[in-house]
Amino acid sequence: MKPLLKVDNLRIELTTRDGVAPVIDDLSLQLNAGETLSFVGESGCGKSMTALALMGLLPEGVGRVASGQILFDGEDLTQASDARMREIRGNEISMIFQEPMTSLNPVYTIGEQIAEVLRRHQNLSRQAAWNKAIELLDAVRIPNPGARVSDYPHQMSGGQRQRVMIAIALACEPKILIADEPTTALDVTVQAQIFDLLRDLGRELGTATILITHDMGAVADMAERMIVMYAGRKAEAGPVEQIIEHPRHPYTKGLISCVPHLMATLTEERPELTEVPGIVPSLRDFGRDQCLFASRCDRADDKCKTSRPPEIEFENEQSSACWQAEQLR
Amino acid sequence: MKEKTAKPLLKVENLTVRFPVKRGGLFSKKSYLYAVDDISFEIARGETLAIVGESGSGKSTAALAVARLVKAHSGSVLLGDDDFLSLQDEALRQARAQVQFIFQDPYASLNPRLRAEAVVREPLDSLGTGDPSERQASIDALFKAVGLRPEQQRLFPHQFSGGQRQRIGVARALATRPELIICDEPVSALDVAVQAQILNLLRKLQKDFDLTYLFISHDLGVVQHMCDSVAVMYMGKIVEHADRLSLFNNPLHPYTKALLSAVPSVDKKRRQETKRILIPGDPPDPLSPPNGCRFANRCPAAQEQCSQSQPPLRQIAAGHTVACHLVSDNGIAPI
Ligand SMILES: Nc1ncnc2c1ncn2[C@@H]1O[C@H](COP(=O)(O)OP(=O)(O)OP(=O)(O)O)[C@@H](O)[C@H]1O
Ligand SMILES: Nc1ncnc2c1ncn2[C@@H]1O[C@H](COP(=O)(O)OP(=O)(O)O)[C@@H](O)[C@H]1O
Ligand code: SF4
Ligand code: SF4
Ligand SMILES: [Mg+2]
Ligand SMILES: [Mg+2]
Repeated sequence: MKPLLKVDNLRIELTTRDGVAPVIDDLSLQLNAGETLSFVGESGCGKSMTALALMGLLPEGVGRVASGQILFDGEDLTQASDARMREIRGNEISMIFQEPMTSLNPVYTIGEQIAEVLRRHQNLSRQAAWNKAIELLDAVRIPNPGARVSDYPHQMSGGQRQRVMIAIALACEPKILIADEPTTALDVTVQAQIFDLLRDLGRELGTATILITHDMGAVADMAERMIVMYAGRKAEAGPVEQIIEHPRHPYTKGLISCVPHLMATLTEERPELTEVPGIVPSLRDFGRDQCLFASRCDRADDKCKTSRPPEIEFENEQSSACWQAEQLR
Repeated sequence: MKEKTAKPLLKVENLTVRFPVKRGGLFSKKSYLYAVDDISFEIARGETLAIVGESGSGKSTAALAVARLVKAHSGSVLLGDDDFLSLQDEALRQARAQVQFIFQDPYASLNPRLRAEAVVREPLDSLGTGDPSERQASIDALFKAVGLRPEQQRLFPHQFSGGQRQRIGVARALATRPELIICDEPVSALDVAVQAQILNLLRKLQKDFDLTYLFISHDLGVVQHMCDSVAVMYMGKIVEHADRLSLFNNPLHPYTKALLSAVPSVDKKRRQETKRILIPGDPPDPLSPPNGCRFANRCPAAQEQCSQSQPPLRQIAAGHTVACHLVSDNGIAPI
C-alpha cells in the first residue's frame, strides 16, 4: 500500500538571534490511511514544528524548509503554492491546537465558525452549512446541539470547546488530522471522552491521526506507531507496544521509566523514579555532529560526543538512532 | 502502612469556604459559591495526603484556606495543638512559619527582580530568626538540600530552567523549617523528566526533615507515587477518602471509579482489565447545586433516591469513607 503521507529527509531551519538552527534535522516518516501515529518527547524537541511544517504554517520569516520532501498523496507540499496550501489546510489536512480558547474566535458563535469552514471549502449554502454544523456538534457529543450551535466560545467549558475544535477540524472529513497535545489542558475524564471520540471518528471516516503528546499512557492507549523526538531528531520509531516493552534508545527508556504510572494492581512498593538528569539542549546546539542526548545519557562515551549516531533499522520495524542500539535490549 | 502516630499534625474539621458572587444585573441579590463545602480530613506527621478531583472541584481553595490564604467561612484547622484559624499576631506569625506553599507555576511564583538567594532569604528575614551569618548558613544548606550549586545563589529567576526554578521554590518553602508543606500541582508545569527529579527531591526531603505534605495533583500516577492517603473531591465535597492501596485498588465511589478508569496507562494488563466508565456532561452549576447527590446527573449508577437526599460520608472500612447511597455497608460498589 502506498502511504498517505511520506516525509523524506526533512530539514527545517529556524533563524533566531543566535543564528540558523535545524529545528527538524533529517526527519523521515510515513503515515498510512486510517492509522494513528504519535510523536512524543519533551517540550522543545520540535514536535509542534513538525506539525506546522506539514500544515505549511511555519512561522513566517523565521522558519523554512531547507531540504527534503513532504509527499501527501504523491504531491510535494514543500513546493506547493500558498493558494494550494490554503486549499489543503482545514480540508484535507487539519489540525487541533493545544489551547482551545485561543484558537476559537470569541466574537463569533461556534455555529458560525463551523459553517464558515464548510462554506469556504465545500461551497455549501448558508442554510446547509448551518445544518451540517449542528450535525457535527452532535457527532462530537455536544448535548442539545440545536441550541448550543448559537453559543459563543466563552459559554462552553474547556472540554466542550476542544470538542468544537474537533468538529471544525473534521468538518471537511480530512484525510489527516494533526492533534497537538489536544487534551493537555483538560481533566482526565474529559480527555478520555475526547480520545474515544477521536478513535470512533477515525474508524468511521478513515482519517489518519498524528497525535502529539508527552504522555506515554496516551500513546499506549491511542497509537499504533510512535516516533520519539529529541532535539529535532528522530531518536526512536516503531510499533508502540514493542517500544514500550523494549525501547532501543536510552531516551525512550528514560521517558517511560521516569514517570510514575498507574499499574493494574498497586503494591506497597514505591521505588525511586528513574531520573534523566538535565534538560533538552537549546536550539543553537541542535545541529551538532554528536548524539544530542549524550549530556544526559548514562551510557555516553567519546564516540557519542563526537559523531551523530545514524538510524539503525531492526527487522521488527523498530529503528533507533543510538550508537549502542544493538546492545540495548 | 506506617503506624499512625496518636495525634495528627493537621486536623481539618467541617471546613467551608464560600465566595460572594454577583449574578445578573445591578439589583441582583448576592449569592454564594460554596467552593469548599464542609470537608474534614487529617494528616499524620510525616505523611502525605493527596487531594484529587476535576478542575474547579475546590482543591486549591481548600488548601489555601488551610494556610489562611483565603478566609474560611466556618470550620476549624488544628495544626498540632494550635487552633490555626483563630491565632493572632505573634502566635500567628510563628504558626505561619510552620505552613508553607509550593505553587504550580515556577515561572510566576518567584519575584523576577530578586536573586535566587534573596528569594530564599525573604521568609527567614520576615520571621527574624538568627543573625545574618546564621541565615547565610541556612541558605547555603537549603541550596545544597534542593540540589542547586552555591554560585547559583547570585542568579535571577529567569536565568534558571523550569525545574531549577521549582527547586528554588522548594528551598524557599523549606526556609522557615515548616512542618506542613502544601504542594499545589508542584510538577504540572514541568517536563516529565524534570518532574521525576522534583518528585524524588520532595520524597527525599520528606524523609530527611520529617515533613508532612498536603499534595494536590490532577495526575493520578503522580498521586499514587507520592501519597499515603487520598481525598477525592467533587463540587466542594469529599466523596471518598482512603489510604493509598484501598483507594487505587478498591475504589468505591462511582466518581472515583470513573476518574481512575479514565487514566491511560502504559501497563497492558491495566488497559485490558480496566473498563472505562464514561461520565458524560459537566458538573451542575456550582451556584445552585442539586439537593441530592451532586454527582447524580453524570453518575452511571444513579437511582431515584440519589437526587432526593445528599449521601453522607460513611465509614466502610478502617480509614475508608465514601459518600454514596448505593455503596453497601460491607463495601460493595454499585458499579
Ligand atoms: N476568588 C474566587 N472568587 C470566586 N470564585 C472562586 C474564587 N476562587 C475559586 N473560585 C471558584 O471556586 C471553585 C473551586 O475552585 P478551585 O480553584 O479551588 O478549584 P481546583 O479544584 O483547585 O481546580 P483546578 O484543578 O482547576 O486548579 C471553582 O468553581 C472556582 O471557580
Ligand atoms: N516562532 C518561533 N520562533 C523561534 N523559535 C521557535 C518558534 N517556535 C518554536 N521555536 C523553537 O523551536 C524549538 C522546537 O519547538 P516546538 O516544535 O514548539 O517543540 P515541541 O512542540 O516539541 O515542544 C524550540 O526550541 C522552540 O523554542
Ligand atoms: S548514542 Fe550514546 S549518548 Fe546517544 S543515546 Fe546512544 S548511548 Fe546515549
Ligand atoms: S449517591 Fe447515587 S448518584 Fe451519587 S454517586 Fe452514589 S450512586 Fe451515584
Ligand atoms: Mg509543542
Ligand atoms: Mg487548583
